[in-house]
Amino acid sequence: MSFPTELKYTKDHEWISAVTGTARIGVSAYAVEQLGDIVHVELPKVGQSFSKGAAFGTIESTKTVSDVYLPIAGRVVKVNDALVSHPENLQEAPYAQWLIEIAVEGEAAGLLDAAGYEAFLAEDH
Amino acid sequence: MDDPSAPVRTTPLFAAHKACKAKMMTFSGWQMPAFYESPMAEHRAVREHVGIFDVSHMGEVFVSGPDSLPYLQGLTINDVSKLAIGQGHYTAFLTETGGFVDDLICYRIGETDYLFCVNANNADKDFAWMQAHLPSTLRVTLDNQSGAWSQLAIQGPQSPAVITDLFPDRPDLLQIPYANIATAEYQGVLVYVARTGYTGERGYELYLPNGVAIALWNQALATHPTTQIRPIGLGARDTLRLEACFLLYGNDMDETVTPLEAGIQWAVKLDKGEFIGRAALLQQKEQGIPRQLCAFRMEEAGIPRSHMSVIQEGQVVGEVTSGSHLPTFGFGGGLALVHSRLQIGDIVYIDVRGTEKAARIVKKPFYQAKTKG
Repeated sequence: MSFPTELKYTKDHEWISAVTGTARIGVSAYAVEQLGDIVHVELPKVGQSFSKGAAFGTIESTKTVSDVYLPIAGRVVKVNDALVSHPENLQEAPYAQWLIEIAVEGEAAGLLDAAGYEAFLAEDH
Repeated sequence: MDDPSAPVRTTPLFAAHKACKAKMMTFSGWQMPAFYESPMAEHRAVREHVGIFDVSHMGEVFVSGPDSLPYLQGLTINDVSKLAIGQGHYTAFLTETGGFVDDLICYRIGETDYLFCVNANNADKDFAWMQAHLPSTLRVTLDNQSGAWSQLAIQGPQSPAVITDLFPDRPDLLQIPYANIATAEYQGVLVYVARTGYTGERGYELYLPNGVAIALWNQALATHPTTQIRPIGLGARDTLRLEACFLLYGNDMDETVTPLEAGIQWAVKLDKGEFIGRAALLQQKEQGIPRQLCAFRMEEAGIPRSHMSVIQEGQVVGEVTSGSHLPTFGFGGGLALVHSRLQIGDIVYIDVRGTEKAARIVKKPFYQAKTKG
């Protein structure tokens, strides 16, 4: 399992590509492994704003539904529609397959770097 | 519902599941494999090749004695007098009000001997029910062997090859008709081989004393080079049965649902004579059946789940009882208990966490069973 160092991570297993300007958001390889077979992805509409920690979408595997939370407040500027038609792609490439792109509107807090996230996974799981 | 304070039980294959890297889950008070690598891949393996399932959590009750036939006729909905030795059928115990105590398979294994395969969650309740409804005047012995017997299901088009490997001197086992059962010996121990299943594929369910369960499991898996067999968890078991529209007790029906509502009229023999729940069913038939269990498929992306509301013209007209992504078809679908006025072809909406998603009522089943072929 890999955790690219250019990304920041949350303890809810999302990744974010930047903390200012425009940022892409996805879920970590660990999250994808835990979910199992991903069969459906539900994403917000462009223009919607969410506060930090708000659930902005859901990922469903054969048996469970998981919410995905925004690591930082922001407004949705792009949605990865290709993923909605091919949710299984998320399984193969969790870092290439971002979920949404946001215009960051808040301050970053509590994000982990790759090493910090790996350490969190090691102690917690 | 699972009682969190009750001790969690394990089957004789617990260590074998760990060795196969199973992700375990608690189901009906048992530690069972949810899946090994991937529920979807396991689902496909059963449809295309063959899989082996540990279903030892299911209960086994042996009924014997000279009066077992009249006793069972009064206790179950199907006509036990129609069973020749070696035949089995789907049946149920009902409450006085016509609701399901449990659904089960009844096999006739001797002149006056029967084997009942009951749901794990209901095994103790069923046995108590059977005892409570046994008149003292009848000569019947009830023997709950649920703890001492294991059950392995071998399901899929390659299942006959696995049976041949397990019982090389018994080619006749491949000839047993659907829903029938035969005895065989495995490592000198008496086992039952039934041509039944819960997947919609050709397959077998093996009832065996706990002591030989691991050996049989390992031998079956060792046929992998020729049969491509793999172990299958409860996740794929659920999607396989849902595609075939086999009911799951506790989801699709319980003590509040009658077999007429659940769409299993074919197993209800109202003219065989008195049985518990018969009067209530006759009354329901006369007054009209208010609800029906129907199949639906999503017309929009979205996965239906149990307890989601079914909506038509702004009104709640029912509830999803089982819902999932259906791996063979690639769309969401399931079973729902809905108002009887709904018909095949109707568009309804499923309330998926606050968003209404279009679905269509369709003919059951999604997947035409290949059990008899």
